Amino acid sequence: AMEERPYRSASGAALALRRRQHSASCRELAVCCPRLQLRSLSAATSAVWLAAYGLFVLSENSVVLSAAIFITLFGLIIYLHFVKIDQESLLVIGSLGIQVTSSYASGKESTTFIEMSRVKDVVINEAIHMQKVIYYLCILLQDPGDPQGVSEVVPLFQSSKPRLDCLIEVYKSCQEILAQRKTAPQSS
Amino acid sequence: ENSPAPLPERAIYGFALFLGSWFGFMLYLIWAYVPETWLFSLGLTYWPQKYWAVALPAYLLVAIGIGYILLFGINMMSTAPLNSTDTITDNYAKKQQQKKFQEEAIPALRDIPISEVNRMFFLPEK
Repeated sequence: AMEERPYRSASGAALALRRRQHSASCRELAVCCPRLQLRSLSAATSAVWLAAYGLFVLSENSVVLSAAIFITLFGLIIYLHFVKIDQESLLVIGSLGIQVTSSYASGKESTTFIEMSRVKDVVINEAIHMQKVIYYLCILLQDPGDPQGVSEVVPLFQSSKPRLDCLIEVYKSCQEILAQRKTAPQSS
Repeated sequence: ENSPAPLPERAIYGFALFLGSWFGFMLYLIWAYVPETWLFSLGLTYWPQKYWAVALPAYLLVAIGIGYILLFGINMMSTAPLNSTDTITDNYAKKQQQKKFQEEAIPALRDIPISEVNRMFFLPEK
């Protein structure tokens, strides 16, 4: 069953949280960011081209204009392929692990898998980020030497930065699956 | 003993500083405005170049302006990034000793692990 609900990001942009239950111990949670707006793209392109035309009028060198066209094209391609994130998703499989996927606007997908034995907990942490205090969801990785210790913190949903209400939904879903770890211990 | 109330010694220090700063300011004005030839004729030949009478205040103002930006930048650099364990715990919390639980006493102060805090805040109480 799949359900989708609207939320907001920390900066106010509209997000959508898609929750999908594949089985009793497997859930997929995806946060979809707003697509690249045509108006912001046109604004950026016009600003760069106006600046280039101004430089051309001052310097009488037409290389400035071709350079501006190339910069705009390559800048857009690099932005769509490396910066603009379309969707960030979290796949929690109870006995296996957690998979974190980021899909970029150009179609590229970058995936990280963390096996369940390394996961200590999934928590909502507060931290200072760019003169603000934000809530963010993160995976705490187990320290192999110390059962109480945390070796690493993996922050999730870094580009979409959903607000606390969305994070609480994701947290509850993850905790339901993580709680099954203790009640159903593995036979290995 | 360490009160900020006025004392006779403090009044004397204050007046000495007041006289000293006025004297320093008058000396600076004389150095900046009196022509070199007049100073040479008085026998004062080894004073610094008058260039510095303008350069030093300029340097000072720029340094103060940069200091604002520098302090801001140092603050941003010292903030722990989102993926560091410093946002969750620190050496004091790791080494804290668990005090024995006593019946009907207020529990001892301790650093509560973040998992427990999260469960209390975000999971509904049954």
